[in-house]
Amino acid sequence: MAEAMATTDPVTAAAERLQTLNKAMTTKAVIAQTPKELVWTLNKAKLYRYVPVLRKEKRHPIPLLLVFALMNRPYILDLRRGHSFVEYMLNKGYDLYLLDWGVPGPEDKNLRFDDYTLDYMPRAIRKLKAISGVQEFSLLGWCIGAILTTIYAALRGDEGLRNLILLTAPLDFSNKQSLTFARWTDERYFDVDKVLAAFGNMPGEMIDYGAKALKPVENYVGNYVKLWDNIDDPRMVEGWHAMNTWVTDNVPLAGGVFRQLIVDLYRDDKLMRGELLIRGERVELSRIHANLLTVIAEGDHITPSCQSEPVMSKVSSTDKELFRVKGGHIGIMAGSGASKYTWPHIDGWLASRSQ
Amino acid sequence: MAEDPTQDGKRLDPMEPWRAARDLYMDAWGKTMVDMVNSEAYAQATGAMLDSYMTVSAPFREAVEKAMLKTLEQMAMPSRADVLSIAERMTNIEMRLDDLDAKLDNIQRLIVKVDGAPRPQSAKAPQPSRKKMTKAKPAKTGKK
Repeated sequence: MAEAMATTDPVTAAAERLQTLNKAMTTKAVIAQTPKELVWTLNKAKLYRYVPVLRKEKRHPIPLLLVFALMNRPYILDLRRGHSFVEYMLNKGYDLYLLDWGVPGPEDKNLRFDDYTLDYMPRAIRKLKAISGVQEFSLLGWCIGAILTTIYAALRGDEGLRNLILLTAPLDFSNKQSLTFARWTDERYFDVDKVLAAFGNMPGEMIDYGAKALKPVENYVGNYVKLWDNIDDPRMVEGWHAMNTWVTDNVPLAGGVFRQLIVDLYRDDKLMRGELLIRGERVELSRIHANLLTVIAEGDHITPSCQSEPVMSKVSSTDKELFRVKGGHIGIMAGSGASKYTWPHIDGWLASRSQ
Repeated sequence: MAEDPTQDGKRLDPMEPWRAARDLYMDAWGKTMVDMVNSEAYAQATGAMLDSYMTVSAPFREAVEKAMLKTLEQMAMPSRADVLSIAERMTNIEMRLDDLDAKLDNIQRLIVKVDGAPRPQSAKAPQPSRKKMTKAKPAKTGKK
């Protein structure tokens, strides 16, 4: 009877809702629950191997390495139980590895794409090969992680890279009108050296502000209104809580990389023009021969499709596919439709190429 | 009355029209704001604000850094730059260790390969001499 009163009493119900709202907004959700073991470290970078769930003979022989962006936590790929790309791919029989870049400290302010692609990635991949006992592997890069994997594929792709998957990859910066970030970081308005002289690394909070300011009403108001509207739906609240935990966990971007991103890519579009030099080596996209799947989010306001499409005509891969999926920059992999559209497509494409 | 189900089985929500109006307003507001942040004027204004902040805060930052450096020097403590340089050197050492580790792995793999390979019957694998296998005795120091 008391319980029935509690659920029907509007004051108690309102109090419960406020409590749920407060918990969702101020606490951290339990995330990244899939078991994994640490197999390699270098500076702040860590390579994890997820504990396989299928027997070896049922697994795909070619391992898959996940490379996420530098300025966000990679556990978006393993957000919560029952809704995790990692969990999904393990159940599909992949030998799965995750490269976590960690949090750069002041001592890492000079790290550049050069270091990440020629020092960190080759060493992590060497370890992956040693553990898996296979000389070939697949790479999945998402957002800035897709820039890193593309550079790696162009420079070191002949070292066993069989399949390359690029998710919402910001590679082409020629269409300045479509790129709000390009406008904000134009050299007339934004002095990148002055900012880095003050901070060393680009603070995570500033990057977070930049990402949210692209759609200020949706991110600063609509997001919380949506939570309040669905406060009585535990599944929705759980999903919101997990996503909010990830969104508010910001990581600074190493100063050297930030400078390259702004000057070499956003301003000069050097990667697409074939002028990007990594330790003196020219990054030529035509040197990419791996099987290529490029995934584009149709509603992506951070990486519009015009940034990801042109790579298809630049690579030398004979086996290549462009896949468009409805959703936003993060939503296509972590939203409610991810398990229906994006993940099965990635698995379908990769499974036949991982034998 | 609000508790009564409607014909299609859903309950009437008196807040629904208000919510619909709110959503419409937020959509319009959102579009206006997106247009605003996409403008040259916004880029110019935020750039100017950031630049002013950097310019104004730079002398204070430099003063604090200098004072801290002097204090640390007087206390015979390493400066921030010293610590950062050690951290950078540690990463270089880590990289060299990683390379050595990979080479050792490789050597180990080759040894296992050689050991595991089928040998011709006439050829015997070299056996380590017992003398070499025994543990070296600790050198006498002469002290009692």
